[in-house]
Amino acid sequence: MNQTEVPKYDLVVVGAGPAGLTAAIYTTREDIKTLVFERGVVGGLAAVTDKIDNYPGFPDGVAGLKLADDLRLQAERFGTEIELGEVTAIADEGTYKRLSTTSGDILSKAVLVATGSDYKKIGVPGEQEYYARGVHYCATCDGAFYRDKRLVVIGGGNSAFQETIFLTRYASHIDLLVRSTIKASDVLQKEMETYIKAAKVTVHTNTATEKIVGNANGVTEVLARQADKSLSFKTDGVFVFVGLTPNSQFLKNTLVRLDSIGFILTDDHMQTTMPGIFAAGDVRSGATMQIASAAGEGATAALKIREYLEGRPLPIQDEA
Amino acid sequence: MTKNVTIFTTNTCAYCQMVKKYLGAKGVGYEEVNLDEHPDRQAEAMRLSGTMTVPVTVVTKQDETQEVIIGYNLARLAPAVAA
Ligand SMILES: Cc1cc2nc3c(=O)[nH]c(=O)nc-3n(C[C@H](O)[C@H](O)[C@H](O)COP(=O)(O)OP(=O)(O)OC[C@H]3O[C@@H](n4cnc5c(N)ncnc54)[C@H](O)[C@@H]3O)c2cc1C
Repeated sequence: MNQTEVPKYDLVVVGAGPAGLTAAIYTTREDIKTLVFERGVVGGLAAVTDKIDNYPGFPDGVAGLKLADDLRLQAERFGTEIELGEVTAIADEGTYKRLSTTSGDILSKAVLVATGSDYKKIGVPGEQEYYARGVHYCATCDGAFYRDKRLVVIGGGNSAFQETIFLTRYASHIDLLVRSTIKASDVLQKEMETYIKAAKVTVHTNTATEKIVGNANGVTEVLARQADKSLSFKTDGVFVFVGLTPNSQFLKNTLVRLDSIGFILTDDHMQTTMPGIFAAGDVRSGATMQIASAAGEGATAALKIREYLEGRPLPIQDEA
Repeated sequence: MTKNVTIFTTNTCAYCQMVKKYLGAKGVGYEEVNLDEHPDRQAEAMRLSGTMTVPVTVVTKQDETQEVIIGYNLARLAPAVAA
């Protein structure tokens, strides 16, 4: 990017997950000059998910990496530019918003924040110390290191169940530690039954992880508590899937209002409380955290952004 | 000057694809060691990186010094292969 001249766009999309890429397919197809910024993997969390069974149009399911790559190709077909880098701040300069990025400043008439969310840590002793040396947050990345080894997975929601099922292809046995009760969908619970019956997975509910223990070679055990009982699970590694935290920190000093957890508040038009800034997908307060809905929100945002760029005022609603 | 680049990957690792795409776009050749196909080379990846994660990118310079980059970390990867 040229250092002296600040590049100008109609729309900058922050985040190349399903929400951001879908929006870019719509806007570039309508000749809205669009730049997508991505600091991690093009395709977002969809790209790091092994197999997606509930995205419409794929009767046999689709590999996350394949869906991500196809979304990118479709966006690029219409002229979307994807820049690998991070957006670190947004400032209002009237017609244009100024975005500070790791590749320099950019000016854009509208901005779509589609930054999704990142894995939460559990915050127990040993978690940080053994990070990537026995404690992991991405099964599709690191699962292969646990061929024929014992694993502990922590979490009780859809992601924890999905990732445990993925990890059974490598691990000899998995202890799934669920702090309270199971939150995963009935479909996933039913699928898990097969692995429980085959003695590949043991589910421990009401089991709170207290400490991850190891030595110079990595993790050796997980200490947990079940009511007033102290438990020890011998293991070679730990995968943590205890929820997600929104990627909205870079909006802290702006007019964009966040909810108490940090998700972005919008109205039905995906407009935030800062004019010209829209939000879609997992980072939006009230999002249903699904690829299909992220794509839908991306499409809605794109259509509303077009109206905004055409100077058609969007009614401000109370929710934002 | 870069002499050669080796990337340790697995089949399902999205960050590995990003590293390969980046090197491809910069015209940097590399050898890929897919640990799903060569589990016998896992120990080597772990010894080089001190971690059990992929991608691990090993950049060997002409003077045989090595830079090991863990994960998809453009801030380290870009300068390592630039020269
Ligand atoms: C383990 C797991 C399994 C799942 N399985 C399914 C499933 O089977 N079906 C389903 O429908 N959903 C599934 N989901 C949920 C689904 O992945 C998400 O709902 C979806 O990816 C959200 O899309 P998004 O575009 O809003 O955000 P994301 O996919 O999170 O993409 C956001 C992108 O923004 C980037 N970004 C963040 N901040 C910045 C910044 N400042 N600058 C530049 N880039 C930035 C991130 O790197 C990321 O790539 C799963 C999630 C997980 C964690």
